[in-house]
Amino acid sequence: MARVTASPSTVEPSIRARGLVKTFGPIRAVADISFDLVPGRIFGLLGPNGSGKTTLIRLLTGMTRPTAGHAEVLGAIMPDRAILSRIGYMTQSDGIYTALTVAENVRFFAATYGIRDQAAILDVLRIVDLSDRQRTIASTLSGGQRRRLSLACALVHRPGVLFLDEPTVGIDPLLRVEFWAHFRRLAEAGATIVVSSHVMDEADRCDELLFVRAGQVIARGSGGELRQRAGTQDLEQAFLSFAGTVATP
Amino acid sequence: MNARRVQALVRRVVEEIRRDRPSLALLFIAPIILTGLVTFILRDGSAPVVHAVIVGAAGAPTPLVGEIEGGLRDGGATVTEAPDETTARASIADGTASVAIVLPTDLLASGSRTITLITDGLDPSGEAAQLAVVQKGLLAALTSAAGTTIPAITHATVYGTPTTDQITNFAPAIVGFFAYFFVYLLTGVSFLRERTGGTLERLMATPVRRGEIVAGYTLGFGLFATVQVALLMTWVLGSVRIPAIGPMPAFSVGLGVAIAGSPLMAFLVVLLLALGAVSLGIFLSTFARTELQIIQFIPLVLAPQFLLSGVLFPVSSLPGIIQPLAPFLPLTYAIDGLRQVFIRGADLSVGALQLDLAVLAVIALFFAVIASLTIRRDVV
Repeated sequence: MARVTASPSTVEPSIRARGLVKTFGPIRAVADISFDLVPGRIFGLLGPNGSGKTTLIRLLTGMTRPTAGHAEVLGAIMPDRAILSRIGYMTQSDGIYTALTVAENVRFFAATYGIRDQAAILDVLRIVDLSDRQRTIASTLSGGQRRRLSLACALVHRPGVLFLDEPTVGIDPLLRVEFWAHFRRLAEAGATIVVSSHVMDEADRCDELLFVRAGQVIARGSGGELRQRAGTQDLEQAFLSFAGTVATP
Repeated sequence: MNARRVQALVRRVVEEIRRDRPSLALLFIAPIILTGLVTFILRDGSAPVVHAVIVGAAGAPTPLVGEIEGGLRDGGATVTEAPDETTARASIADGTASVAIVLPTDLLASGSRTITLITDGLDPSGEAAQLAVVQKGLLAALTSAAGTTIPAITHATVYGTPTTDQITNFAPAIVGFFAYFFVYLLTGVSFLRERTGGTLERLMATPVRRGEIVAGYTLGFGLFATVQVALLMTWVLGSVRIPAIGPMPAFSVGLGVAIAGSPLMAFLVVLLLALGAVSLGIFLSTFARTELQIIQFIPLVLAPQFLLSGVLFPVSSLPGIIQPLAPFLPLTYAIDGLRQVFIRGADLSVGALQLDLAVLAVIALFFAVIASLTIRRDVV
């Protein structure tokens, strides 16, 4: 079972997974995952394509129902519509309306959370550095700009729990640094942040990493700890080392 | 149902369509061009072949009958005679004749006399053209017969009731069908984009309810449907004569189709139909993976409705085996309702129109519920 490391036991977890299983026909996309994630930290879900990261996030956000087990966010068993106003979810596909302008997209998603405050919209556009693109139609944005808009839509209601599915794909290094700085500020303000990635070089920005392979969490800990346990200086090597200890289903 | 969230959805739908020029053209220009074309074809089609059968020729002066028959033959018609109206109607029913000309016994007497033209009533457009040929021949013969006042010419049909301008019979069906068709197409494709583009998944991660999405779409597209129907109605019913300016000859804008009832009542019928089409589009988008598949539903779902709901052929003339399908099609009620308003001049006190409106409202509501059930959080 998952080993809880470096998380003060006094803090109540904001995300709980208990025996989560999701099967699609014969495929077990998520095969018995349990963990507790506490507020104020950034968690990285690391694993290759098809390892079950996205399905795990969809289970945690209540986008899909588990075949077995349950997911709990902020004390509510998912899916729970009421708790969605406190969750931010940046999907792997951009999930933005390409016919609308940048500002219209953010305003629309803000309105779905009952936010009509123009300041909140301007604020979040500043964070993703799209302030000067407010009137641009989303279909004409570059790939990286669309990712940023997608992030803005996920942040506009200031969620306490944030799921980011491959948030930095197509984003240039400079902005990536700013993104992570912002994630850190949100975590310091008490948010729980779950970031999925298959890029290992981002992993060190997370407080804790969960290596995901074949629908299971094969290792958990900070980047340093995992390297140490695997006896390697390279996280990729560490992943392979842990992966080798698990039988392929 | 949260009004603000619905409002946000409506606004978004409107903003999206407003920028989509091809969709705007589909909504507003295509129906106008198509109704214009249909009207033009119906009113100014090429002269058809008439098979006339004359009743009462024995009682009329031989030279006059000869002149009528000659005039008709000059117009390319075949002419036969029948002893009485029943025989003539029978030959129309079996297809050997297309128009019966019933002459009064006192054709040359003064005072009011009536010549009745009988057609079978199943092909209003073709018959209108035939009647024009026959009337032309009759008038030519009668005016040359000196000393007579021209008798009135009335039109009767073996089936159904005749109308003077065939487009009057068609216009309601065309307005109804186009509104239904284009609103379905647009909603279906828009909602499919929502499903395949990842925005539905994203939307499901917000507190928005499924019912709110359907309501937002219905109101948003309902707004465009309202404008579309208003524009189409103005085009079909109105007729503004533009006087000659310089070298440009005078012409009219608008089709000037006669309507017996209130245009607002007709508007209400089409609007209810269009609202149902929004939900139908959302519902059918569940079964489509690509935009092409939305198009593929047209021959599967819309074309049969076009054939069975009385657009071209009256429901009563359908073969008995498929006639029972008609009551299950929303379009049947809309077209009946529109004909009630256009031809009969029905208002809300007419039972038949009340039934049409009630059924359309129930169908729209039914599809809205079905549509919201097909939007599941568990989308993939």
